[in-house]
Amino acid sequence: MFDFDYTFHWITVWNVFPEMLSAALVTIEVAVTSMIIGLIIAVFLSLGKDSKNEFYRTPSVIWIEIARNTPALFQIYMAYFGLGAFGIHLSPYIAVLAALVFNNAGYLAETLRGGFAAIPNTQMSASRSLGMTQFQTYRHIILPQVLRIVYHPMTNQMIWAILMTSLGTLVGMLELTGKTDQLQSLSFRTFEFYLVAAVMYFIIAKMVLLGSKLLAHKLFKGDIS
Amino acid sequence: MKLMRKLAFLAVAILGLGTTGASADKLDKILSKGKIRCGVVLDFPPMGYRDAKNKPAGFDVEYCKDLAKALGVKLELKSMSFAQRLPALNAGKVDVVIGSTSDTLERAKSAGFTMPYFVFKLQVMTKKDSGIKTFEDLKGKKVTAALSTTPETEFLKNAKSMGWDSAKYFSSKSESDTHLALLQGKADAIVTTDTTIAELLKLPKYKDYVAGPFVPNYDDFVSIIAKRTEYGLINYMNLFIHQQVRTGRYKELNKMFYGNSPVRQLTVDGIYY
Repeated sequence: MFDFDYTFHWITVWNVFPEMLSAALVTIEVAVTSMIIGLIIAVFLSLGKDSKNEFYRTPSVIWIEIARNTPALFQIYMAYFGLGAFGIHLSPYIAVLAALVFNNAGYLAETLRGGFAAIPNTQMSASRSLGMTQFQTYRHIILPQVLRIVYHPMTNQMIWAILMTSLGTLVGMLELTGKTDQLQSLSFRTFEFYLVAAVMYFIIAKMVLLGSKLLAHKLFKGDIS
Repeated sequence: MKLMRKLAFLAVAILGLGTTGASADKLDKILSKGKIRCGVVLDFPPMGYRDAKNKPAGFDVEYCKDLAKALGVKLELKSMSFAQRLPALNAGKVDVVIGSTSDTLERAKSAGFTMPYFVFKLQVMTKKDSGIKTFEDLKGKKVTAALSTTPETEFLKNAKSMGWDSAKYFSSKSESDTHLALLQGKADAIVTTDTTIAELLKLPKYKDYVAGPFVPNYDDFVSIIAKRTEYGLINYMNLFIHQQVRTGRYKELNKMFYGNSPVRQLTVDGIYY
């Protein structure tokens, strides 16, 4: 049976809306930073996984395997309380950021590896025979193509990163979810606060996607639909 | 024949009204169903915890049992976190929550509070050699409390009024996470209830820790909560709480869970609830 008898008090939310907005900024900040650092590391991890050098391949494989096959929640908890057990005390902010970098790098590495695999080996041979160094080849020939190929799967990870920041509340980080939790406990207007937070997450995800679309348009000169 | 059919129809309509009448409130429903669903928080010993056999136990659990017994109905206990108390009530998952809910005026705009059934003091717990003797000594220290609880709210309120930079304060997700943060040295001090601290200090791993200063000017009175509109039920529970004290059951449970410490007074000077 459906009996809905609840009177919404939106004013309680608007009174503290500025606090929610600044918490949303923290969410965006952590997601975007973790994505950028994660992407840079992912390039090295994906190359490492295919490397013939044992000392480069093994750590890359371990990183990717752990990052992809354990819950993000566990990774955040380990960065906070796990390292804490060894006397390394990261603040909630840094712990969540580190865990998300770890997670993003692992996933993006596999995405990128797929991208690298799509580029024929002959391109490397061709550019080397034209006198380019290996670095130059990656920088000017291979990476620009790979980034175009992996653009769409990468935006998926971007959204995932935004939504994963909400796990930060488990180590007491006051991003959008944590702040919402704190604010609703003062007034017990739970539904109102969480509904507003959900809408804010939606808008953030859309905004970040739009941003990356504009960036891609500029970088890839219209190669991405 | 026609008249008979009309009469039968009327009889059915009246009978129907009796069972599903719009005026049946929560108390009626509990009594007619023969069951009350009672929310408890089980990571807050000794008010709520799991015993050695993993069964729910504690002061709040006993109160749920007593309430069901008084109503003459069966009890269904539902375990929840502090943050889930209100959503669970509003979503109709539980009828009442006996979960040490602080009775602030702000919250009373959303939930129905009974008269207080227990009272805490908010207190600081630190390491023995921390040098924290008064509440003012917490200035600039790494302090934590459980997110969305009254200890957190009250600490931040005091910190703000004293003009402290609370950048070194951080929230923990649950009571047990604050304990872990203290043990690991992430926090110099935690703010929680005096009862929790007394309970922790019984454990050998806290032998280097002490109960510190109290949070000034605050008695943390807690109530049973129900939906704000369920006057009948709230009214019943007010009498229930009153009777628990009158019959000596309150004193008995105090002794069971708090040993020989003095029984907590539920009244304040100058006014009756």
